[in-house]
Amino acid sequence: MSTEQTLAVETRDLACTYMSGATSVAALDGVTLTVRRGEFVAVMGPSGSGKSTLLNVIAGLERPTSGWVRVDGEDLAALDEAGLAGHRSKRVGMVFQAFNLLPRYRVVDNVALPLIFAGVPRAERTARARALLDRLGMSSRAEHRTNELSGGELQRAAIARALVGGPAILLADEPTGNLDSANGAALIALLDELNRGGQTVLLVTHDASIARHAGRIMHLRDGKVLD
Amino acid sequence: MRLGDLAAMSLGNYARSRLRSALTTAGVAIGTALVVLLIALATGAENNVRRSIFSIGDLRLVTVQPFQPGANGLSAVPRTIDDGVVSQFRKIGHVAGVYRQFDAPLGQVVEGGDDAAIRPQGIEPNAPIDRGDLLAGRHLALGDRGVAVIPGNIARLVAPNVTAAIGKLVTLRIGGAVRLGSTRVGGSGTPRDYPVTIVGVFDEAASQTSVRIPLEDALVAGADNRGLTADSLRQQTGYSGIAIEADDSTNVAEIVRSVQELGYSSFSLKQVVEQIDQGFGVFRGILAGIGGVALLVAAIGIANTMVMSVLERTREIGILKAVGAAPGDVRALFLAEAAYVGIVGGVLGLLLGYLGGQVIERIIRELNPRTNPAPIFVVGPDLVLGALGLAILVALVAGFLPARRAMRMSALSALRYE
Repeated sequence: MSTEQTLAVETRDLACTYMSGATSVAALDGVTLTVRRGEFVAVMGPSGSGKSTLLNVIAGLERPTSGWVRVDGEDLAALDEAGLAGHRSKRVGMVFQAFNLLPRYRVVDNVALPLIFAGVPRAERTARARALLDRLGMSSRAEHRTNELSGGELQRAAIARALVGGPAILLADEPTGNLDSANGAALIALLDELNRGGQTVLLVTHDASIARHAGRIMHLRDGKVLD
Repeated sequence: MRLGDLAAMSLGNYARSRLRSALTTAGVAIGTALVVLLIALATGAENNVRRSIFSIGDLRLVTVQPFQPGANGLSAVPRTIDDGVVSQFRKIGHVAGVYRQFDAPLGQVVEGGDDAAIRPQGIEPNAPIDRGDLLAGRHLALGDRGVAVIPGNIARLVAPNVTAAIGKLVTLRIGGAVRLGSTRVGGSGTPRDYPVTIVGVFDEAASQTSVRIPLEDALVAGADNRGLTADSLRQQTGYSGIAIEADDSTNVAEIVRSVQELGYSSFSLKQVVEQIDQGFGVFRGILAGIGGVALLVAAIGIANTMVMSVLERTREIGILKAVGAAPGDVRALFLAEAAYVGIVGGVLGLLLGYLGGQVIERIIRELNPRTNPAPIFVVGPDLVLGALGLAILVALVAGFLPARRAMRMSALSALRYE
């Protein structure tokens, strides 16, 4: 197997610089890392360390100022805006701290949402969403609106949405940030279980007790990886 | 993104904020209704005028007059139409027939008494004015001499009814003074009598005084009246007019131009109709413009609503983009939503405009029962399609900038938007 096929994510000298007034702030400052397929990696660091920026760059929501990033073998710099949208709908699945579900849709429709933009027909979308909700123990909630769900259930629904496209990597940005400790622990157990099933997971957190569930922990500070 | 999904998703967005969508749509509906109503009114009026013109005569006809058109149209100079000119007319392209006419001096049908004053028109067989209006008998035919086709009112003066007038021998007194209505017109020259046989009677709706006689007879009578020979009359005075028939009404303008190049003024109903069309085009344009202002206001309403909607849904746009919506998908969603405003508003506006026209028409007829029975408001298929298309176009144009704004929104900052 070539490295191309074994690596889910590969970055080299990744830098992201913002202008804040007259001064430039480096959110990422030469990050080089690899995530192999099937790995569960946690990125730890205090707020402002650049860990969310790293995730956004991998998700294709943000372009790096310099350096490059490959996800599932694809160089994101080569993609235009529409290409990046395709990247988000096919190769990566994102889970946010704020859940980011659409309140006017049923849970099953929220889960199926990414497939709309991938051009999957309605019947297949719904079937795949239901199967995934079933697998995550959420099938009884499929027809509910999101305002009828608890925080733990919302985040499970969000994970289902992130996984529905069969992504090469699941990107989770502080997924337990809005959950109580019991629900947070359950969520981490779910990520663990998904990873044992072969799902590559990249988790961003500032909480060491969460991070220790990962197979590997990377520390970020001031936009740099600490060894 | 599939078209069906786009349609379903944007319909959901359109139907979500009911009151706002309803108000925006109402704006488009009123604008469209106004456009429909005003154009239907203009179309109805135009149809009415055109109908009246078509009832006057044949659109394929060009009438040449013995004048040279002046520079400003007012200073026409007399110009003789002789047989040389006529043969030039025959050579013009798309000419199906050329008919000479010579009007003899005024006169009367002696048997009909003082009321039977006439204008003898010397015409050729099958001339456009001598077609399809008979009450009895026949039209003029080739080789006819000493015959006449007379109007019904004069036939009834010389015989008990129009059929009884056929075959009757009467005297045409041509020249001298005649009585037209209540006034006596001092006619030209010395009156002379010509015996003619009535071969046809035409409907006097066309004319109550014209008597159609063979061209040669008219020329002889005219020559006698002025002490000339028929041949010299042809050369010096020329014909009173020429009727040129085009093979098709679309070629009339070309024939008119050729006649003018030969130095003669001409008249054609077709050109009148074209001028009326032009006039109504302007009229319709003005009315459509008034309706257009209403649509413009509606468009501003749509744009405003869409801007609000984009702002309100910033976070949703961020989520859609984060899960894989391409910039084009986001734009399409908002444009489709605007299109719904146009479609629903356009259909409602059509109904409103049509029904409004019917109601106004009924009220007008109720108030004035003698109103012309032709429809006042005419809504044709082109107006239906045009108005609907315009409503959708206006909505799309209004939605374009807000949709582009949504498209260009950064997913990250949209997700952070509270």
